[in-house]
This record gives sequence, structure tokens and C-alpha cells, in this order.
Amino acid sequence: MAMSHNDSVPLHPSSQSDIDEIENLINAAPATVLPARPQSPPRASIPVSSSPFIQSNIPPPSFHNKPPIPPPISSVSVSPAVLPVTDPNVRPTVSAEGFGSAPNTLTEPVWDTVKRDLSRIISNLKLVVFPNPFREDPGKALRDWDLWGPFFFIVFLGLVLSWSASVRKSEVFAVAFAVLAAGAIILTLNVLLLGGHIIFFQSLSLLGYCLFPLDIGALVCMFTSSVLLKVILVPITLAWSSWAAYPFMSAAVSPRRKALALYPVFLMYVSVGFLIIAID
Amino acid sequence: MNQIQDTTISRPTENYSNPKTCFFHVIFKAASLAFYVLSALFVNSFVIVFVVTVLLASLDFWVVKNVSGRILVGLRWWNEINDLGESVWKFECLDQESLSRMNKKDSWLFWWTLYLSAVAWLFLGIFSLIRFQADYLLVVGVCLSLSVANIIGFTKCRKDAKNQIQQFAQQTIASRFSSTVQSAFSVV
Repeated sequence: MAMSHNDSVPLHPSSQSDIDEIENLINAAPATVLPARPQSPPRASIPVSSSPFIQSNIPPPSFHNKPPIPPPISSVSVSPAVLPVTDPNVRPTVSAEGFGSAPNTLTEPVWDTVKRDLSRIISNLKLVVFPNPFREDPGKALRDWDLWGPFFFIVFLGLVLSWSASVRKSEVFAVAFAVLAAGAIILTLNVLLLGGHIIFFQSLSLLGYCLFPLDIGALVCMFTSSVLLKVILVPITLAWSSWAAYPFMSAAVSPRRKALALYPVFLMYVSVGFLIIAID
Repeated sequence: MNQIQDTTISRPTENYSNPKTCFFHVIFKAASLAFYVLSALFVNSFVIVFVVTVLLASLDFWVVKNVSGRILVGLRWWNEINDLGESVWKFECLDQESLSRMNKKDSWLFWWTLYLSAVAWLFLGIFSLIRFQADYLLVVGVCLSLSVANIIGFTKCRKDAKNQIQQFAQQTIASRFSSTVQSAFSVV
């Protein structure tokens, strides 16, 4: 099998792949009776024929679990139908060994995708809600935005509020969900209309993750019936949420308009806080 | 390549080559639609209807985007933010050889169920609009936006794939030509 050669003379990509092709045919010759009906490709190993990964095209993997940038589809096909492909990671490539297996998300097993998404949610949560060194550069911090985390937090908050309510549970849930979802969209539009530079989905993602402290507050409030405890706890979580949202929102707009961008965010969190306190 | 063409011509029908994936692709869509429609008969609480339907719809979204898109049609799309802070939509597809090997039935199923489920949600939305049920409209709105997002993503991905194939074909021809010319000159 043509593993990557560290040739002293870098070959032209197309001639390298020609050599690969010939070598593959030679190596795989004994096993190449093509079945009368092409087998369905096994689930996690759709053959992606070797793209000779030209070194410069692959950026170094970022520190977070970023989905790898696909290489340009520039390969000459190396007759993958001939090779019984079992392991998608072992493929004739020219120069990808510097980065381990070829970074191709099309052939990874499903469990890998799930793990990748889950770890992304957790890392986003840690970045947004907890103190970390990247808060000063908001654009970089929430680079891998995703909407699963915010979706889960919004639904969770709605559910907790609905459980805490003794009457009209359905309405409480619907109102909470609609207010939070519409509020996030409107707040993002607000920033955009103020001439701020923010990416729509990134901001939605951020506002959703900042609900996490309020989620915790609502959960605790569900189990306690003491109003005093609620009145103390909710402002603390409210302050935490606002602190989490502050750097991103303020960095997005010009300094003169910072208050205009931040005030509605604060207002929304305050109203959610009131909703938590008021529900019994 | 000729061998593959011969075998496909000689077999008039093929079965699904990824039955499990096709099953999952369809089951979540069908489950969320069915639950939403049947819940009016069995379930009193709107919260349960909302949560279960939206949960099934988002599971379906995830499965289509990450699993069945890859396996049934060899396409994938996502969004990234590059170093300049701009959002970039990335599309990824298998190379042409593998794309032409894709099972026709698989991809037929993929595209048709994608479109049909969006149309079904649209109808359900119109019904709830007519009946002035704002909260059920919320459910339908969420599910519809998830379906539409997948449709748009994969349609753009397919167009992008076609463009890439054309470019690649031109590029290959050009590079083959130049390498044969080079080798011809080196022999001489």
C-alpha cells in the first residue's frame, strides 16, 4: 500500500497519484475480482479516494474541536472500487502524516460526530460562562458556535418554569420559550442595527449559553418555597448571566453605543428573573 | 470504471445499500409528524407535545445533517468562523468516483423525504394558523425551520459539488495534458 513517501524530490501531485494508482493495482491484484454486484460500502468507510493533501492547504488544527477544513477535492481517483476499503484512516496520501490521519469528516463513524458535538457544547459553555483567559477576545472565544447548547438551555428553563407553576403550565412554557427565542433574535438584530459587527448565529449562541446561570437559579427555586431565598438567589444568577454576556456584546458595537446594546440584554434577563421569582 | 458500468447496466433494480441509515433518516421525521398529529387525540398537555415533537425534529435534523447526508448522498455542510471573524459556509462532498457509485435509491429516498417532510410541516402550520392556535404554530415553526435549514444546506452543497466537479474535471485535463507533454519532452 502506498504510504506517504518522504521523497527528497517532491513529485508533481498528479504523477504521484499515478504512481499510487499503479502500486495499488499491483498490491491489490490478488483480491480484485469485482463482485457481480458492488457491495454496499460499509457504513463508516465510504471510500474517499486519496486526495494528495498538499501540505500548505491544511491549516494546523485549532486548539478546540473545530471540524476539520476539507481538503480541496483535487485528487485523481485511485480506483477505490478495487481496494476493499476497511479502514478510512489508512489511505494512500502524499503528505498528510504530519497531522495524523487524513482530516476528513465525511467518513468518520457516527459516534465520533456525537462526541465532537458534545465536547463542543461543553467547551462553549465553559468559555462563555466561566472566567477564562479568552474573554478579552470575544470573537475568538465563541468561534465554534453551535445552537444545540442554547436550544437545550432554553427548553430546560421553560420546563423548569412550567414544573414550578401550579396553574397554566402549558402557557408558562410556551411564553417562556417564545420570549427567550424571540428575545435572542431581537437582541441580535438590535446589535446589527446599531452598526455592530456580530455574526447572527454566534450571537444567538452566546445569548443562549448565558442562560445557564438562570437555569441553575430556576432549578434551585423550583425546590424551595421560601421567597426570601428566591429573591436573594435570582439576582445573583442574573448578575452572573449579565457578566457572561457583557464582553461579547460590548465588543461588538462602537463604544458610544455600548449601553444601547447592553441594556436590552439586561432587560431580558431581568424579566426572566422576575418570571422565576414570581412563579409559585 | 467499465466494470462498474457493466454491472450497473446488467442489474435493473438495486436494493438500498444502507438500509439502517435510510431507516433512521425516515423514522425521526415520521415520528415527529405522527406524534404531532396524533397528540391531539391522546395528550392533554401542550408542554409534552412541544417538547417531544421538537426533540424528535431536532434529532432528525442532527441525523440528516451529520449521518444520512454523509452516507446516503456524500454531502456535508457546516458553518465556520474564520480568522477574520467572518462566517463562512463550508461544503464538503465526496469525489466524483464515489459520488457516481452512490446508490440511486438511497439518494432518491433522501431528497424526497427531505422535501416531503417540509411540505407536511407547512400544511400543518397552515392548519394551526387557520385555527388560531398560536402555541401549536410555535411548534410547527420550529420544526419547519429545522427542515428548511437542512434543505437549503444540502441543496447548496449539491450545487457546490457540481461546480467543484466541473472545475476539477477541467483542472485534471489541464494537468494531465501538461504532465504528458512534460514526460514527452523528458523522453526526447
